Amino acid sequence: MPVVGLGPHGERASPPERVTLLPQDIADARAKNLRVAIVMHTLESDWSRHLVQGVVGQLGECGAIVIDVVDCQFSAEAQIAALDRLRGEKPDAIISLPVDNTTVTQAHLAVSAAGIKLVLIDNAPTGMLPGKDYASLVSADNYGLGKIAAQLLSDHLPADAAVGLLAYDADFFASNEREIAFSQWMEINRPDVAVKTARFPSIDSAGNAAIRLIDAEADIAGLFVVWDTPCVEVIKAVSPRSKALPISTVDLGQDVTTNLAEGGSVIGIAGQRPFQQGEAVAKTTITALLNRPCPDWVALPGLSVTRSNVIESYQYVWRKPAPRDILIGLDVLRSS
Amino acid sequence: MLSDNAAANQTRSKGRPRNSESAAASLVDVLNLVRLGHATTRQELERVGEYGRAIVADRLATLKDLRLVHESATGIATGGRAPRLVQFASDRARLIVVTLDQSAVGVGLADLHGQLISEHHEIIEITDQTATVDRICALINWMMTRQADAPDLWGISIAVPGPVLTDPDSLYLLETPDFLPNWDRSGLVETLTQRFQAPVWMRSNVETMTMGELHGGAGIGQQSMLFVKIGQRIGAGLVSNGHTYHGAAGAVGLIGHLPVTFDGSAGSLDAMAGAEMIKTRGFAAAQSGESAHLADTLARAGEISAIDVCQAAQVGDEVSAEIVAQSGKLIGGVVATLANMLNPQLIVLAGSIAQTNDILLASIRETVYGASHPLVTRDLRILRSQMSSSAALLGAAKTAAEALFDPTFLKDWITLGSPCLNPAFLQAQASLDANKPQSDEGPPPPPEI
Repeated sequence: MPVVGLGPHGERASPPERVTLLPQDIADARAKNLRVAIVMHTLESDWSRHLVQGVVGQLGECGAIVIDVVDCQFSAEAQIAALDRLRGEKPDAIISLPVDNTTVTQAHLAVSAAGIKLVLIDNAPTGMLPGKDYASLVSADNYGLGKIAAQLLSDHLPADAAVGLLAYDADFFASNEREIAFSQWMEINRPDVAVKTARFPSIDSAGNAAIRLIDAEADIAGLFVVWDTPCVEVIKAVSPRSKALPISTVDLGQDVTTNLAEGGSVIGIAGQRPFQQGEAVAKTTITALLNRPCPDWVALPGLSVTRSNVIESYQYVWRKPAPRDILIGLDVLRSS
Repeated sequence: MLSDNAAANQTRSKGRPRNSESAAASLVDVLNLVRLGHATTRQELERVGEYGRAIVADRLATLKDLRLVHESATGIATGGRAPRLVQFASDRARLIVVTLDQSAVGVGLADLHGQLISEHHEIIEITDQTATVDRICALINWMMTRQADAPDLWGISIAVPGPVLTDPDSLYLLETPDFLPNWDRSGLVETLTQRFQAPVWMRSNVETMTMGELHGGAGIGQQSMLFVKIGQRIGAGLVSNGHTYHGAAGAVGLIGHLPVTFDGSAGSLDAMAGAEMIKTRGFAAAQSGESAHLADTLARAGEISAIDVCQAAQVGDEVSAEIVAQSGKLIGGVVATLANMLNPQLIVLAGSIAQTNDILLASIRETVYGASHPLVTRDLRILRSQMSSSAALLGAAKTAAEALFDPTFLKDWITLGSPCLNPAFLQAQASLDANKPQSDEGPPPPPEI
């Protein structure tokens, strides 16, 4: 599946193969005794945990020590404090997922100014430039993920319906791209469908946002939630009221994957490849630390996941067999 | 239209009657002194602007009522009480900036200083003018509705893929210039003016990218810079004495039209070295099987783009590398001629082709250094832009900020508190509405994104 989106500055995507490490690169990296810190927006989601696994494993292969993995809990203040503290530790590189587009900019710029290589995941604060303020951005093709989610949901929408789009109320590259792409796909391919948008400022508030939207727009026949963790809140809030409302989302988190496999309200997932993205992040970091040119934007295409391919998709994303309840839900394993 | 530099240099002579102290003119002066950072306290306004204390107090009170300046912060004390800082309210309203390329569109939001706040880019096919105009409107609508407090919109600035020939005396556009064949009939400017009820400005992509690179990229602090954009078309921009060069009619840097030859073939630089040549030769190499890598791409995707060829070159495909190197040699030859003429400190290469490829950069560097006088190349740096399409958005934002606060335009709206309330603009809008086709009743709402 090709990458269909553009980067935060309009960059064309480079495939992860552009940061392939040769045996000599790995040997050179090992000789440097590198120290790297990781600053994540959250460690609560399955996506985050898989991505960090990919980063840490690949860095380990290159002899780079991970000195800290910080969970910022979506807090800009926590991220600024973490970056300021880690700057004092003088690591060779910091890998960061910026929690927003404005308030954390200065803290990230200070990292680069201190001579520490900065590799970004999923979001580039406005005004920061690749090659100048950070080495590279590594993300999924979030525009493509939005289109996949729209396509999956479209099959479950009747003619002339409305669809609810539960979007994140923060200026964040990844979620913005998904939101815009979802709406554009519907506009082009399902002009009969009206897209009604509601925004949630935090994961906890996603359920209430969905309820308010459904109450206000009686003809809503389906929902798209821009990632899986708030989607779980939406399912909890909506299920008692609208049993038949189909939902699509992004990321193969445990809860939404189980819901999909069991034939619940989740009818399709636009899957990211967090483990492979984590490996690409680590390879990009090593490439930058070897002072070799990095692509401005490395992007990985998404996966279209339905009930028919959820088991192999789970194995691919989670790097382990699907749990028994998923296998039972799909009748490939007897419950006994 | 005056630049910010010209606005800053508008000082009055002593001893003559003070026309500039009429309310609108001195408001314009005081606002631009504060906006451009030439005066940051009341004392500095008195000294730099040569105004009396009462005039400064009165004008600042008016500007504060109009929410164009504020005095909420204090400066550093130099003996007595710390002075209150007079600061420009750059968040008073927003500017929308748009960049349109042959294959992509970008939309951004900027403050009144011309600093980008947010941006989004996506692939688009601009041959369908109606769909392109609708898409731009939808993205602007999305960008504005994403803002928490529904800010006022004071202007829309567009960067387009062609030279923009406009009347230098016009304060803003009311009809679409013919920047590409038949685009004067697209209704782009007219639609944006009517739907968003704000003045619209337009410059060429190359000119705005040059300006953006100067203010936010590799060109910061540079006095002389040559900017070369390489895509389907190849164009150049020039910075001289720290300012972008606009030319007599805005048609600067159309180097893609220059004739070049390679291996016995002749054509324009656009045709011989641009994205179309790279795509066509890449497709031929894929079809013939000369390049196994490109043949594989063609089999999977069903087509070959110039970007595919550049990326194949980057990962070691020899045929693709040769195609890209040809482009680099031809562009390098033309750039060397310009460098020998202009002696720039810096040459910046930008555009989708330059962005995805180090071989092109190396080939251009080799040709320029080989074909230039040693004095020209002694301190010359040749870099790839890190700004991508953000350069065009930032340059468009600077264009809008300069136009909005140009003293000629500013004096017409400052006392009204908004450029959108300027009577001449309202009248122009009414005439646009009157000229609309009868079947089209009322301005349609911006499409939801």
